[in-house]
This record gives sequence, structure tokens and C-alpha cells, in this order.
Amino acid sequence: MNRLDPRTRIVLGLAAMGAVFIAREPQSLVVEWVLLMISLPLVRMGRRWIHSLRFVLPMVGLVFAITLLSFDFQVALVLSIRLLNLLTVSLIFFGAVSPEEMGDVLIKLGIPYGFSFILTTGMRYVPLIGQKIRNIMDAQLSRGIDLRPRLKNATNFMALLVPLLVQSFVLSEDLAIAMESRGFGRKGRSARREYRFASWEYFLMVVSLLLLGAFAWWERW
Amino acid sequence: MIRFSDIRYRYPNTGWVLKGVDLSVADGEYLFLCGANGSGKSTLGYLFNGLIPHFFSGTLQGSVIIDDTNTRESSVSELFSHVGLVLQNSDAQLFNSTVEDEIGFGLESLGLPAREINKRIREISKRLNLEHLLGRSPLTLSGGEKRLVAISSVLCLNPAVLLLDEPYAHLDWQAAEKVRQTLLETHQRGKTVVVIEQRTRGFVQDSTRCLIVDQGRLLFEGPAKAAQEVLRRERLVPSYPEQSKSQPSGQEPILVARDLSYRIKGKEILNRISLEVRSRETVAIIGRNGSGKTTLIKHFNGLLRPTEGEVSFQGEKIRGKPPSEMAARVGLSFQNPNNQFFKYRVRDELLVGPVMLDREENGWLEEIGDVFDLKGLLERAPYRLSEGEKKRVALASIVAMRPNLLVLDEPTFGQDGRFRETLAILLTRLKDLGVTTLIVTHDLDFAQATADRWIVLHDGRVVADGAPQDLLCDEQLIRVGALGRPPSDTRH
Repeated sequence: MNRLDPRTRIVLGLAAMGAVFIAREPQSLVVEWVLLMISLPLVRMGRRWIHSLRFVLPMVGLVFAITLLSFDFQVALVLSIRLLNLLTVSLIFFGAVSPEEMGDVLIKLGIPYGFSFILTTGMRYVPLIGQKIRNIMDAQLSRGIDLRPRLKNATNFMALLVPLLVQSFVLSEDLAIAMESRGFGRKGRSARREYRFASWEYFLMVVSLLLLGAFAWWERW
Repeated sequence: MIRFSDIRYRYPNTGWVLKGVDLSVADGEYLFLCGANGSGKSTLGYLFNGLIPHFFSGTLQGSVIIDDTNTRESSVSELFSHVGLVLQNSDAQLFNSTVEDEIGFGLESLGLPAREINKRIREISKRLNLEHLLGRSPLTLSGGEKRLVAISSVLCLNPAVLLLDEPYAHLDWQAAEKVRQTLLETHQRGKTVVVIEQRTRGFVQDSTRCLIVDQGRLLFEGPAKAAQEVLRRERLVPSYPEQSKSQPSGQEPILVARDLSYRIKGKEILNRISLEVRSRETVAIIGRNGSGKTTLIKHFNGLLRPTEGEVSFQGEKIRGKPPSEMAARVGLSFQNPNNQFFKYRVRDELLVGPVMLDREENGWLEEIGDVFDLKGLLERAPYRLSEGEKKRVALASIVAMRPNLLVLDEPTFGQDGRFRETLAILLTRLKDLGVTTLIVTHDLDFAQATADRWIVLHDGRVVADGAPQDLLCDEQLIRVGALGRPPSDTRH
């Protein structure tokens, strides 16, 4: 997968997401799910997918329950499988395209460097903020502050929110100092990575888009 | 050549942080710039590459000339490849998703061609032995590796001056030694090295000249040897008190861990740990970063559940008890005080635990204020305190809950010599009050000054348990890296 140009990976990823959105029949969604399950070990993300189920399954379950109560079984099934597929595609997509590659592609598309940098750095700091939240939770639980998700604990969450906000501000200022000190914003920036399309990648992209079109047509009729 | 002439600086809405500093640094010098928390030493660092006045607003008087260039007249993006700055906060310093991209970032800013950038990445990673880390995310690295990557991301720009803000902060003895060797080698290659630090022992004598900053002024300027006396006098090198022997420890174990193992994502973090802490004892858990110390203590108040084995406290098993309930008995204070402040006043911050646990008592707050010397701070906002004051408030807020066991995770983290000395005195006071304390640290000097007994953790196992003076002579422990020699033994 990583041998492909990031632009190819992004087009393939977007095509896959498009296919998930287009699918309307439960059968098509199940076929998509099977295809995704086959591709997971191919892109070596099987373990990550299983790990992600801890968060994905409760979300899918919730959507299923709400739509079942509001509509009927068919709608609930379609929506929950679609959500499962969409989250799986997103996992593969973000696992296969690094933030820097995404940034490079955006720059090639004419998006200003500053904007693409915000996007890529935002992605980079998600795990760090997650770590900070865990550390703050540990510190506050150790002071007897109950942070279990219960109504009576609602006000206790200030103990999580305030330190997190303060630390995020401090981190953003330190980050700005670090970026400034490494020449961020200097004119005439170059790129370390040079991307070259292989001719068969054009072919791959065209085929995937044609397949998407055909699938859309088939789903309509 | 760098010349600071009569520098005065203040941030917006503060008093003068620098109050008239004159200083010059010759090419090829190794300058060690030390001072207590809040002395103005980091601010001085920001003047070297033009962050002041271009990034920080505020008022700057005087001039900084770097090789005939006045920093007022050239921007940070013009100066950054001449004066390379390595920040203390590695999380901010390393903002790319791989080590390779991290090293390449500054080179891309310079607009170098891709081939040259990749060549320099290869060269610097080979020189600093980082080749095996190039594809890794900086987030997954150890503290020492992060620091070396940060140094390489600046060194690859080939700056004439390498400036580092607290490069030894949070590093254990082994990682600190690696960074130290890298800096020495960089200096030998003809670079000017400027180290801003508060950890002085073992490092200050590497320099060709030492500067001591105090309250925005230069207090001392001279060779490292002559600086020792001033450092001791100014308590930047702490003089620890004699250990109190007045309270013999009890025989009853208060905390017992039996065959405790902990695994996460298939990785073994703790491996069959067995230990005991008796009442009124002060025990230190010693180990390098990543040896599993913090993971271990999170089992003592129920934050983590062991994969195998048991922990009991006062004869009762901890398993299944929520940490908010255990907090009344085991007070755990983590290393970063900023993780816990959320009230407007120190007084309210101190009361959070006792109110949650229904343990408010008249006069207790005053007593805590006395012990931790917080009388003048009670009405102030926690975030506006100095680092040492913050740490005192954080510790006091845990002691205020009157736990039976006090557990301190890296209490000297980010603290200067003065605070470390104060903390050692505080722990002696708590010991006299009969408090059982467990200190988790890689600060061997501090552990030696405060603990009766050491438990040494290495790669998730307990490898030694005994009196500090015996363990420090154990060549086997030092050879495997489970213990280091205190700097005083090797370089003083």
C-alpha cells in the first residue's frame, strides 16, 4: 500500500468512502463489509481494527437502537452497517496516509502551506491530547474526585476540563515557539518528498472511479 | 560572537524579568547558564535567536548582537539556522509524525533540495545513533530518545550556536549521560554550545564558562570550578538535611503486593512484583524511565488492575475498589502539578480532596498551610504560582486528605535545587508526624537523602530491595543499568 503515491491512496480511499455512502441495500453493505474484512489483513491493519471495536461497537449499537426505535429494522440495519463500514474505511484511510503525506497532497492541490500544516499537526496531536486527558484523570481520581459518567458527577468534570484547557494553551504557545525556531513561515520552503505517479497508478485510479460510477448506477436501478 | 548589552526585558503586564544583563559568548565556547526556577534564564535563552523581540511582545531595552547582526533587525526565520534552539518541552519541540520528518522540517524551511535534505538526515541520524528510530513517531519514543531527536533536528541545520533549554530535565541517569556525551562531542566539533539548566551536578564542569542568573541579573560569571561554591551558597545544589531516625518504622506491613503482573497490548510492563511497605517507613522506588515505576504505583490506589497477582492495603484487597474511594487511604501525587489545578484559589484547591471525602476539620487547613509553608499563598490563583510553589500546593492537597500512605511520583520533576532541599525537609517533617511515604524517583541524590529503604525496579521487575548505601555499591546493579552512580561519585 505504501508503495502507492499518496494521491492514489487518497483517491482510492475517497472512492471507497463514496461506495459506502452510495450503498442502499443491506446486501450491498454486507458485500462491502466482506471486502473490507478481506482488505484489512492485506493492509496489515487487522489488529488495529479489532482494537478500534472497543469504541466503534458501542457507537454502532447506539445508532442501531435509536433508528430501530424511530424507524424500522431494515433502516436500523442499513444505517448501522453503513456506519461500521464508514468507520472501517476511515481507519484504513488514515492509517494508510500519514499526516505529512496528506499535507503534501493538499499543497500540490494549491492549498496554502499554513492551512495544510494546521490540519496535519492537528492529527498529530490527537494521541498526545488523549494521553494528557488520561494523566489528568489519574491525578483527579487520586484526589477522590469521582469521574464515573453519572449525573451526580456532572460538575466534577470541571476538574478534567480546566487543566486540559490550560495545558492545551501552554502547549500551543510552546508549539508556536518551536515552529518559529525551525523556520516555519519562511519563504521558499522546499519539500523533502518527491512523489511520482507510476503509469499503472493512473489506471488504478480510473478503474476505481469507473467501478464507483458503475456501482452508483447499479444501486439506483 | 554574541554580545548582550544592558538587556532589560519584561513580558506584557509583568515586572522586569531581566534587569540589566551584559554578556558575551565567544565562538566555540561551552556556556553553562544556570539559575533557580523563575530566575529569568529561559527568557535570556529566547533572546539568542530573536524570539524576543519578534515572537514575544513586551518591552526590550538594550541590544543583542549576533555576528554583527542586531536581532531587532533580523527575524527568527533568518536567525534560526545560525542559532539552533532546543526547547525543554519535547511534546512541542517534536511536532511531526515521524522522526525523519522531524529532522527534515528545518531543512525544508531553508529551502534545500530534497537530495541534500535526505543526505543530511542520514548523516545526523548516523552520528547520533538514531537510524533505527527514523520511521517511528516521536510520541512513542523514550524521554532520552526524544531529546536526542530534538537535538538532531536542530544540529542538521549546521548552526554555529546550539542553545538548549533544560536538556537534562526529566531524564534518568543513563539518558542524561547520552545527551551529555552528544553535547560534549558537538562542542569538540567547534560549535558554540549554550546549556540553560537547573540540574547542575555532574554537568556544569563540562562547560568552559558558567553563568549564574538570579532574579534577572547575572550573579556569577567564571570557570565551572569556581561556580561550585556559589551554586552551593545559592542552594542551586541542594544540601540535604540529615535523615530523622526519631520514628522507627513499624513491623506491620501497610501495603503488600504479591506476584503483581501487568500487561497491556500483549506487552509485559510489570512482571511478578512482590514488595512490602511497613507503616512509618519512607521507601523509594528507584528505576530508570520506562522501568514501570508509575505503572506500579497506579495499582496502589486502584487506578489500574493487575493482570495477575494481588495488592492489599492494610490487609484488604484493593481489586475492584474505585480510586476515588481508595483516595482516602492512599494519597497519590503525580509529577505534573498542572494536571490537577482547577480552582481559582489555592485554599479551594487544598479543600477539594477533604470535601470530596468528607474529611473537613477545623484548623486542618491552617496546619497544612504551616507544614507546607503556604500561608501567604492561600488566596492566590494556583496557575500563577512559581513551579516550586505549585508543587508544594499539589503535595499539600494530597496530604490534606490525611491518607495512611503517601505516594509521590517523581516529586523533584522540573524543580530546582532550592525546592528539592525544601521538599527533603518537608518529608522529614512528615516522617516525624508518622506518615508512611513511598517516593518514586530516578533522582538518586534525593532518594538517598530521604528514604530508609530502596526498591529497585528494572524492566518491570524488582531487582533489589535494601538499604541505599548497600545498593549503591552493588556493581552488578550498576552494570545492568538498574542503578547509576550518583554524579557526585563520578565527577566531583
